[in-house]
Amino acid sequence: MDDLEKELGPLDDLEDDNDSSDDHSSIGTKKSKLPLVNPICEETLKETGFHQSMRACLEQIRDAMLHHRWQEAAEYMPCYSQMLEDTSHSTAQQSKELFWRISTEILHHHPNSRLEDYNNIYERMKHSGVKHYLMICLEHSFYLMLNGHIEDAKHQLSVAESWRHGKESAAQYQRTKLIQAYRSLLDYIIWCDKKFTHSKTDYHDAGDNQDMHSYFRQASVNLKEILKNPGVWDPFILSYVEMLEFYEDHDEALKVLNDYAYDNTFPPNPNAHVYLYQYLKRHNTTDKKLMKALKVLHVLVPSHELMLEYSSLLLQSEKKSDLQKALGVILEMLDFACWRGNVDVWKRLKAIIQKLQLQEDWKDVVSEKMAARKDWWPALHFTRFHASQDSEENPELKEVKASLTKILCPDLTLKYSAGQKTIVD
Amino acid sequence: MDYQFPPQLFPSFFNSGPPHSVLKHSAGDWGCYDRVIPQGDPGPLSSWTFTSRHQVRGEKWLHTEPVPVPLLSPQNAYLWPATPPDPQNFTEHMQNFFMDNCQDSFGCMSEILGENFNFNKRAREKCKTDSTHLTEVKKFLDMLKYKICQQTYTCKSLNAYSTLMSDVVHGIPPELLGALLHEELTEQRDRQLLCEGATGGSLAFIPFSQSDSRSQNGCLLYAGSQGLDKLNFHMVELQHHRGGSSCVDTGDSDPFCFQLKGPIRQISTASIFNEYCVGVRSPHLCGVWRFSERNEPHLLQVVNTKEVATCISISPHVLGEVLVVSESGVAKLWTVGRGMQTVREEDHNLYFNAKSSWRWCEFSAHPRVMLYADRTGVELTDIRVNPALCHTLFRISNTSGCRSGERLLLSRYLGNVHSFHHLISTQYSAYIMDERFPSVPMLKCDHMMQSPPIFCDVIPGSVFSGSAEDGAKTTKVLLGSHSSQEITMLQYSGGRAEACFSLGPPQALLRPKDSLKHLPVQIPHRLDTATNRLSSPATGLTSIQKKGGREAGADECICILQLTEAGDIFYQILEPEQRDASRPSTVEDEPLPQQGTKKQSRTTAEQLHSGSQLFASDTSSDEDVIGPTQGPTVQRLVPETQVKERELNVLSDASSEDSESARKGPKLRRMSLQVVVNDPELDPVSGLDADKKDENGSKNDTDNTEEPSGVGEMSSGSSSGLSHVAPVKLSNSTLVTWKHWLQKLTHWSREKKPRPHCLQHFTISTDDLLPLSDDDDDARDFTEEEHVQSLRSNLKACMSKRSLLVHRDIAASLGAPDVIPVPDPVDTEAWTDQLSHRLTISWQGEEVWREWWEDQLGLNREVKVEALRRKRRREKEAKRATGRRLELSGSFTSSVSYQSELSDFSDSTGWSSAASQGAWSENEGAGSQSEGFLEHGTPRASSPSTLQTDTPAPTPTATPQHVKEKQGDQQTRSGSHTLSLSQTPKPDSTPTSQRKNKRPPKDYLSSLFAPQDEPSQHDSYFLEEGSTMHPLTPPVAPPSSQLRSSQSVPLRTPRADLSQDAFSLSGFSQSLSQSSQGRLGLSQAKKKKSRMGF
Repeated sequence: MDDLEKELGPLDDLEDDNDSSDDHSSIGTKKSKLPLVNPICEETLKETGFHQSMRACLEQIRDAMLHHRWQEAAEYMPCYSQMLEDTSHSTAQQSKELFWRISTEILHHHPNSRLEDYNNIYERMKHSGVKHYLMICLEHSFYLMLNGHIEDAKHQLSVAESWRHGKESAAQYQRTKLIQAYRSLLDYIIWCDKKFTHSKTDYHDAGDNQDMHSYFRQASVNLKEILKNPGVWDPFILSYVEMLEFYEDHDEALKVLNDYAYDNTFPPNPNAHVYLYQYLKRHNTTDKKLMKALKVLHVLVPSHELMLEYSSLLLQSEKKSDLQKALGVILEMLDFACWRGNVDVWKRLKAIIQKLQLQEDWKDVVSEKMAARKDWWPALHFTRFHASQDSEENPELKEVKASLTKILCPDLTLKYSAGQKTIVD
Repeated sequence: MDYQFPPQLFPSFFNSGPPHSVLKHSAGDWGCYDRVIPQGDPGPLSSWTFTSRHQVRGEKWLHTEPVPVPLLSPQNAYLWPATPPDPQNFTEHMQNFFMDNCQDSFGCMSEILGENFNFNKRAREKCKTDSTHLTEVKKFLDMLKYKICQQTYTCKSLNAYSTLMSDVVHGIPPELLGALLHEELTEQRDRQLLCEGATGGSLAFIPFSQSDSRSQNGCLLYAGSQGLDKLNFHMVELQHHRGGSSCVDTGDSDPFCFQLKGPIRQISTASIFNEYCVGVRSPHLCGVWRFSERNEPHLLQVVNTKEVATCISISPHVLGEVLVVSESGVAKLWTVGRGMQTVREEDHNLYFNAKSSWRWCEFSAHPRVMLYADRTGVELTDIRVNPALCHTLFRISNTSGCRSGERLLLSRYLGNVHSFHHLISTQYSAYIMDERFPSVPMLKCDHMMQSPPIFCDVIPGSVFSGSAEDGAKTTKVLLGSHSSQEITMLQYSGGRAEACFSLGPPQALLRPKDSLKHLPVQIPHRLDTATNRLSSPATGLTSIQKKGGREAGADECICILQLTEAGDIFYQILEPEQRDASRPSTVEDEPLPQQGTKKQSRTTAEQLHSGSQLFASDTSSDEDVIGPTQGPTVQRLVPETQVKERELNVLSDASSEDSESARKGPKLRRMSLQVVVNDPELDPVSGLDADKKDENGSKNDTDNTEEPSGVGEMSSGSSSGLSHVAPVKLSNSTLVTWKHWLQKLTHWSREKKPRPHCLQHFTISTDDLLPLSDDDDDARDFTEEEHVQSLRSNLKACMSKRSLLVHRDIAASLGAPDVIPVPDPVDTEAWTDQLSHRLTISWQGEEVWREWWEDQLGLNREVKVEALRRKRRREKEAKRATGRRLELSGSFTSSVSYQSELSDFSDSTGWSSAASQGAWSENEGAGSQSEGFLEHGTPRASSPSTLQTDTPAPTPTATPQHVKEKQGDQQTRSGSHTLSLSQTPKPDSTPTSQRKNKRPPKDYLSSLFAPQDEPSQHDSYFLEEGSTMHPLTPPVAPPSSQLRSSQSVPLRTPRADLSQDAFSLSGFSQSLSQSSQGRLGLSQAKKKKSRMGF
């Protein structure tokens, strides 16, 4: 680790130096420990009066927009549009993107903005520069999707998909992939539409079926493709799996889900395991496999809702160790703030302990699990305040908890039960 | 339910490796939807809907006032300079150090050397005989107090001494001091740009549960006093009535104060079952207090940290558990009363070397898992096992969308919003992280702040308010920056049944430093003070949320409070945009139910003013009024019983006067302010106005009786055009609050002024130079005083009326000026004798007078004849010219003559131009001087000269030669003298015979001059003048003989303004022209030779 850091150190220094020289060019040669934000519109050396006034204009627009004075910002915009004519500036690309962002945001807040206005600005700015073409295309299609123009959005995405421009940067590569994936998602939606009408009419038409299948094929290529990239692809994988299930390609579905859940390059997405679990459950897999999936999820997210199911599975299991595991799972759930007042979990805990009490060494098992929690569980669950609150809000919970205090913390005298007494009295 | 995890997240790439993207534009993520996910059951195409990660519109929250309002009255504070120090200026600071601490810097050597130097002239005898006398040096050193030119004032001996001893006199070697100073300044600069230590902020609010629907009670915790080293627990109440007034009321309670031994950097709070735990961090001390609504705050424990503590965090799970991290990288779990336990130790930064020792710690959803953060990322640390089990929650290089150079600035556990959410802010963005899904941000918003945010506060949206219109569902994240005082509000929602999404673009909130432009104009020096004070960096941010109740009249609002380094707290209240335009304004009229009698009276007093607009008449009289009520604040000790309870030095706060002044508010207002009633039609709350109008009228009456002068008093309705034109109208109570605040601020700032660092100007006393006549001094003083007073009051009245002060208004007070009758004009015709005639003529000027003499003596007969002849010739020519076309030459000559006639320069013009053409051209300086002379000469020549048209070229010959004759053996001939001689153009053309012929009358003329002149001959005199160039001597110039007799008074004035050279020369050349004129008149054969001189 140390070596790695040393290795990384100078590299990072370089990066920092570059950065700070960028950042502070207006301030001086001073290097700050923390790279600060660029001044909004940096004054450049070779600046004409035009640039100065444009900068001032931009500052005004920005200020107005940050204070949500949209009217004022819109009034400045006609002046700022001159910036697009400027070719001398090295940052023309940025200024175009800036212009697009500002104008779109103003349109968002304009009371009378119309679809045509949006289309206009998207189309115009899209073609003003190659670097932001894909981004604007994507945003354009998002706009159309959000406004219910799914077909138009798909058209936009198809156009963008076929767009090629020289060497791709990493960001552009990712955008291309996203565009493809979103296009496939829309294919899936059309596929769903076809499936729906299909099932509704209950009329088998080979051509229609063929059409549907072609949508599936179109979608699956890109969806499969994007799932190879590390990332979060929840909507994509769900649609892909649904289509695979429809065509009963269970192997592929399972493989895709397994890859999504267990690939190490992917971020530890709890949903990946949830999807796998749900798929397995849908297809009546054995408890063992279900438990295996949930076990991994438990490691990742001990507070997950599915842990209740996990504990019930463990509880049903015949193995002795599983019962202890169930106890561990439930206790861990109760560590978290969000489960502390949940009656079901406490009841489950009671059930587990009741079953555990059938064994001889149950006290050891419980004290083993509670050893680490001894010094903070009482404060977390069994204070006088908890007692009064629980009895007020949820008497059932109070009852369950009170019955467990002696079992969980046998060595301590807790105010919780004492509180109960007073209430009983 | 917090345990739910969103079933679908927005798609995103997961990148690893250092980020490369650099933000090139400043638009953040404006106009972006970011990503969309489909929603809804698979069905027909139309059933599909999408949600975007960034939704276009959020809730609209509007300010109730266009300015933030100060909560407390200003306390004395030391302000850092607004601009960060420049490390390059260390020499200046060294100089200051040497001046301020001369004993420390030079004490040693001065003791050794002192015996041998003697600075005192008189004490020469006492000193050792061999001591060096340094009176000259002393004199020079005295001069150093003033702003003087360092080049002009040098002291040779001092220079010699400094060369000799500069390396020994310093107590601290300047190289070392300079290096240290430079380092310190660099650090200070860094600190001003980003104050790491202040992260978290020393302002917090704990809401009390027992609040009714109309107000929100709670305890405001803030750092106060000059060094921000006093911890205050102040009970406050947020009152808000839709359409009416909203304010944060500090009530009548004094704050509970604890004096600490260091500046408070961070206040962290947690509440568990209405027991409140407060952790306070100052650089080397951390303390924990506990209080509840019923119990007063008391200190539980204080720990001393060896290293500078960078974070304190109170556990929201277990009462009395605190996390403390220091710069050494050691995180400790401090169980109050039981001791500390090291839970994590890091020598390095987590992921890469960010060269920062800043660490941060927070609790998480699990009581035994904590967050450990530094500039590079955040790790979740499970402290149940040893060594702690860690995994990454956030990492600059792993999180998608991170930019190059991005660093983590702040992390905050959002336990009250969502038990698994954390807010992480960098200088570009704010991230919402879910600890169940580490490494991938649930949400990323660009906050678009200029300076890095290091304070934050979160206002949870009500999860359950699905029924109430979608007004308050969003969670608001407030980010505050240090130096620029920015506050930005972001809105987001989700995280449970649906993925997180942000709503609307970031909204910048009001800053105290911008508030002055919304307030009445301040006079400049107050403006300076106020601007400085208001732009001191922020050191804390918190908010009060008032939830809307079910019943009517209980509207929700949020109040955002900001603490500045000067110790001022400013608040701004936001309320959601109203659906209906009509504002129920009647709410204010109802007396508030749960207020004491005192408060009630206060509100009624405020209501008295609510319809009126108050004008700040910002003159010194205000200070006089505010003076006695302010008084010197005395810090009084609280009763001993309380002192015993506390372990630290507890002092009650002087700010009890706040409440006092607040109570005195109406009275003060009556005393110091002029009440101006607004036109009811223009006032948005006109209904109220109608009710209050009578009261205001009566109030005006009382004011009138109190102030007999009636300055600035206005009848109602006349100020209708003067209301503020702000989008949100500034309310009167706010205006009054601000006015008092600014007054008190001025009061403070007047009392304490820092040592002026700039040098005094070198001044010469002019008291004795222009003494005023001291006769009847007292009497005049008295009347004048009266006049001034009445004038002032009149002026004030006019200013408040916005009219002009004209003589008509003040005539009464001044009285009619005494009219001095103009004497009758002298009837010169009455005297017929020659002497009288001559004298009368002499009033008209020298030339006229000379002419008279020439006429009298018959000297100008030839001239006249010539003029006549010329006239005839011209007439003849004119006749001819009408007959045929004009010749070029003719037109030229005529134009020349025309020019010379037109120009007012008279002879001197021609002369100077001739001279500059001639020998003068060899001296450029002289040329410019001649111009000066010309300019000067112009007004002089206003007396009409009949000789204008004469060619000047030949004339000078006479004068210099004449001069030569008289002063032929003048020995000392300076350059200017030769110059004056060289002016003589080669006058070969001048017929000498003429001169000879005209000798007698000329002599006669000169003899005529003689008695009027100075003792010496005027020619010789002007020659002297030419050589020595001392023009200030009384005999100004030969013509002055005449000038003095005739025009001395009007001519002197312009002369005094002239520079010496121009003056002397002008005098000189005037004399030349004068004499030449004389001769001209006598000698010149009158021929039209105007071009000759050119």
